[in-house]
Amino acid sequence: MSLLDQIVPVKDSAMAELAQAGDLGMLDQAKGRYLGPEGRFTALMKQLGTLPKEDRPLAGKAINAAKIEIESALAARRSELELQALIPKEPTDFTLPGRRRFPGRLHPLTQVTHDIVRCFRKLGFAVADGPEIEDEYHCFDALNTPADHPARDSQDTFFLEQRAGGGSLLRTHTSSVQIRVMSSQPPPVRIVVPGRVYRRDNADATHNPTFHQIEGLYVDKAVTVADLKGTVEFVFKELLGDEVKLRFRPHYFSYTEPSFEIDFSSSLTRKMGKEWLEIAGCGMVHPKVFEAVGYDPEQWSGWAFGFGIERVAMIRYGIPDIRLFYENDVRFLRQF
Amino acid sequence: MKITYQWLRQYVEFPWTPEELAERLTMLGLEVEAVERQSGDFEGVVVAQVMSREKHPNADKLSVCRVYDGTGERQIVCGAQNFQAGDKVPLIVPGASLPSKPGEAAFIIKVGKIRGVESQGMMCSAEELGLPPKEDGLWILEASATVGQAFAEHMGRRGSDVIYDLEITPNRPDLNSLLGIAREVAAVTGNPLRIPSVDFSSDQTSGFASMTGPVSELMKVRIEAPDLCPRYTARVICGVKVGPSPDWLRSTLEKVGLRSINNVVDVTNYVMLETGQPLHAFDSHLVAKGASGVPTIVVRAASDGEIFVTLDGQHRKLSHEMLLIADEEKGIALAGVMGGRNTEIHENTVDILLESACFKPTPIRRTSKTLGLRTDASYRFERGSDVEICDWASQRAVKLILETAGGNLASGVVDEYPMTEIAKAILLRHAKVGQLLGVEIPDARQVAILASLGFEVLPAETEALPGCAIFGVPSFRVDIKREADLIEEIARLFGVDKIPSTPPRGCVGAHAFDSVYDELMGVRGLLSAAGLSEAQGQTLIGDEAAGWAVGAEGMTGLSNPLSAEMNVLRPSLLPGLLDSLRHNASRKNGDVGLFEIGRVFPFINGKVEEHRRVALALTGERAPSFWSGTDREARCNAYDLKGILEDFFEAFGLKSMVYTRRVESDPLFHESAVIALGGKVVLGEMGLVHPMLAKIHGLRDPVLMAELNLDLLLARRHAAKHFKPLPQFPSVRRDVAMGVAEAISHDAVLQAVRQARATHLDSVELFDVFRGKGLAEGAKSVAYAFTYRHPDRTLTDAEVNLAHEKLVAHLVRQLQATVR
Repeated sequence: MSLLDQIVPVKDSAMAELAQAGDLGMLDQAKGRYLGPEGRFTALMKQLGTLPKEDRPLAGKAINAAKIEIESALAARRSELELQALIPKEPTDFTLPGRRRFPGRLHPLTQVTHDIVRCFRKLGFAVADGPEIEDEYHCFDALNTPADHPARDSQDTFFLEQRAGGGSLLRTHTSSVQIRVMSSQPPPVRIVVPGRVYRRDNADATHNPTFHQIEGLYVDKAVTVADLKGTVEFVFKELLGDEVKLRFRPHYFSYTEPSFEIDFSSSLTRKMGKEWLEIAGCGMVHPKVFEAVGYDPEQWSGWAFGFGIERVAMIRYGIPDIRLFYENDVRFLRQF
Repeated sequence: MKITYQWLRQYVEFPWTPEELAERLTMLGLEVEAVERQSGDFEGVVVAQVMSREKHPNADKLSVCRVYDGTGERQIVCGAQNFQAGDKVPLIVPGASLPSKPGEAAFIIKVGKIRGVESQGMMCSAEELGLPPKEDGLWILEASATVGQAFAEHMGRRGSDVIYDLEITPNRPDLNSLLGIAREVAAVTGNPLRIPSVDFSSDQTSGFASMTGPVSELMKVRIEAPDLCPRYTARVICGVKVGPSPDWLRSTLEKVGLRSINNVVDVTNYVMLETGQPLHAFDSHLVAKGASGVPTIVVRAASDGEIFVTLDGQHRKLSHEMLLIADEEKGIALAGVMGGRNTEIHENTVDILLESACFKPTPIRRTSKTLGLRTDASYRFERGSDVEICDWASQRAVKLILETAGGNLASGVVDEYPMTEIAKAILLRHAKVGQLLGVEIPDARQVAILASLGFEVLPAETEALPGCAIFGVPSFRVDIKREADLIEEIARLFGVDKIPSTPPRGCVGAHAFDSVYDELMGVRGLLSAAGLSEAQGQTLIGDEAAGWAVGAEGMTGLSNPLSAEMNVLRPSLLPGLLDSLRHNASRKNGDVGLFEIGRVFPFINGKVEEHRRVALALTGERAPSFWSGTDREARCNAYDLKGILEDFFEAFGLKSMVYTRRVESDPLFHESAVIALGGKVVLGEMGLVHPMLAKIHGLRDPVLMAELNLDLLLARRHAAKHFKPLPQFPSVRRDVAMGVAEAISHDAVLQAVRQARATHLDSVELFDVFRGKGLAEGAKSVAYAFTYRHPDRTLTDAEVNLAHEKLVAHLVRQLQATVR
């Protein structure tokens, strides 16, 4: 058979094998069988030199055309197979659980604190803090607490050992920060103070020796009870929803006069079977407190209010036991 | 303080239901903590009057009556024959039930038709009411009976009542009495306060004619500590008959939780509840006679170590700080706290000496606290009692003792009152009220409110001061000290709910902590994004746990701890976090990542410090469980924790952190490193918790923890960020694997790389560490990728090769490395 006659059958056979190759490996093998050093098509090209000179142009042209055809078929098949290789072997089961990353959560007390801080900041309050180890002056005396008030007793308040400074105690409320801030800056004052406080109570479902309070203080010219009510209502509506109702009951705190306790009523309290639930204490800063920090009570007036963060968190999330906050069980922490 | 609805009504009229009273008291500042309803005898039975009696249209033996029950007329069908129009009878109303005989169901009265005629209740016989049978038919009551009165009341039996438990704030001792509370109610309603009579002469039973003489001849009082006892009054009643109290007295005391003892003691308790003034009765024959030949009361300080037996039979050891009521020989009462066994009233007592005195709060509080003895009396004196009420309360008690126990009162009173208290007067500027409350209250209204509470305007002083008024403060209001206190009274009675709410006003607050707060929230955000949940630990921990972090000298202890598990302030957050891991492990949560931000209180250089730290803890599986993959079971190790720290430092703006392995041992960590900024400023530590310690805490997997000084972290961070242009030209990477000695650290390699100063070197990255096959003992293979880049052009292979070969040669020399 003449060389010229062999070209088309070899080419056709090559084209068929390339088309049949099921993956990239088989394709490379097929390529080797035709275009490799020992390949059948390579053999034809080698024969070209043995032809008489006058026959060569025609045969050469035919071989070239065939080679181009094979190579483009090879390239086409290769890209086809490459694409196939990228496609996953098995279909995805979209109902299978995904691979979780579980970012950490902020502690519920942090979340509640931050929500409260955000409400106050909308009103231009700055966040303030102070030491947790306090002295009697900042925790009691300057807040007009009588010398023999039970809160000052070692029954109720933690005192540090002698070598740590006589009379040093763990602050029993964040109100000590009122004194520190007012003593160090002139009025007006507008601060919100979140922080840890300590009472000498044995731990039970509603007590922990360590807990958190947050407190707002506003001192300016002509501040009134009406301002206090307006701000308290704003903060609690932001915090607990517009439907919340508040009432102010006369009460007694040594550092405010007049003093009130605040009860709220909402679907949350009704769920707990109560119309009113006590949530905070407040009042107008006592003139004696102003005198202690060197503010003139004739010039300035102000209000303060404060409440327990655990209590708000317990009401808000329906948490029955305060100790859960301090156990740090991850199943608890991940719920918030 | 417990009161009852009916009892309060004796002192003031009010138009409120029991529920409304609770609400009113709460809004006055007397928070109602509990309400208890007590059903009485003859529930639903009232004194009624028959207005007309007609024959029943369908029955011969029945009659149809119109009966007035005090509020309206009812139609009653009745079968009895022994009555006529105008008679007063007990009537039971529908809904109430007749007393049942044992074993029978109660018979509930309903509205029903009897032979076609409706009957709205039932007129009763004595037998039907469970009383001994009287005449045949209805019980016809005496003509003087009050129509509409509860039958129980008519009979002097216990009626239904509502008992309130009130929280009295410590500033208002005057409210620890029925009269004090009634005064508030009177002020709100405008109704008069009904003060009980203390008029003895109108009393028929006391028989004054035979009294034994003036009291001043029967006894003496000597106050040796007038600063602690400003007033002491005494009266003597002779010939009393001690016995059980009458029903009204016993049941009143029992309703508010007091046990009935005998008529004399019960009266002293009753008057204490009524007036707030504690009283005490002594058997006067048991009080020793003094030099003057009559019993003598001495008010003096106790002697140190003096033993005294109180009423409850306890032997009490006294000190000189306590105030004692004594005679010339012995103590007879712990002043203001409890009487003594040696002079108590007993069934044979005939003559009594009645004390009504005023003691200062301080000695009473001290006595009560030191002895652990709290009584109704000490509770009231501790809070401050009204010096002016002593004599009145004594008269009131005398009247009731004469009524209930008989006897003769010695005339007059012994009233030792050496220094009369000066009444306080306070100036109120009417304008100030509006300025503080934010609501205008007319001046006249202000005066009226204060007057209703017993504050009287002093007209002479007031006249000269326009826009102002001077008020005399009643002696029972020990809490009123200045103008703001008067304004509070006005606000309370005016009604806080009537003060408008004004929207928050503009003003910008400022405090240095404000920005720190945001930075702390930033730290929280970064660490929670790294997969750690935020923990809140106890500030108070046990010294044993604290000992994992610091030595005993580094702890700050409490002088009054609650328990050994909470006796020091945490010197570090790590013991607390370890305990949280333990808690989780015990609940089968083995995979835990936590962080905590909080204050620690280490004792350093002779003083307690207080600063913020952040701590991290990691244990268990590296990734949340998944259903596929080869390293599903992988546990966290030190590099997981370090990775979190590195991410955190980078995002927080802290560079060039150096981790130096600790050589010295540590109770907490098996292996640990000090973390220092630039190798100099120590920020904290990280490490692998000692496996033995982990095991003690029930933790099986490796436990990694780190703690950093947050104050320092905040001070040293560079939060400001600057844009660095993105590279325009491609980089070239060359990898090298080297065999080096185990002791050569990654830091040592990096240092050698820096020394080599390879041109165009852009970055170095470790991508493999390998030990074992093909390596000598004590050697490891480390593989690094070096990236070369020129900012302005593409580097040629030749340039890179030249630089890289020089670098490798340097490393081989410097680290005694072999290129693999």
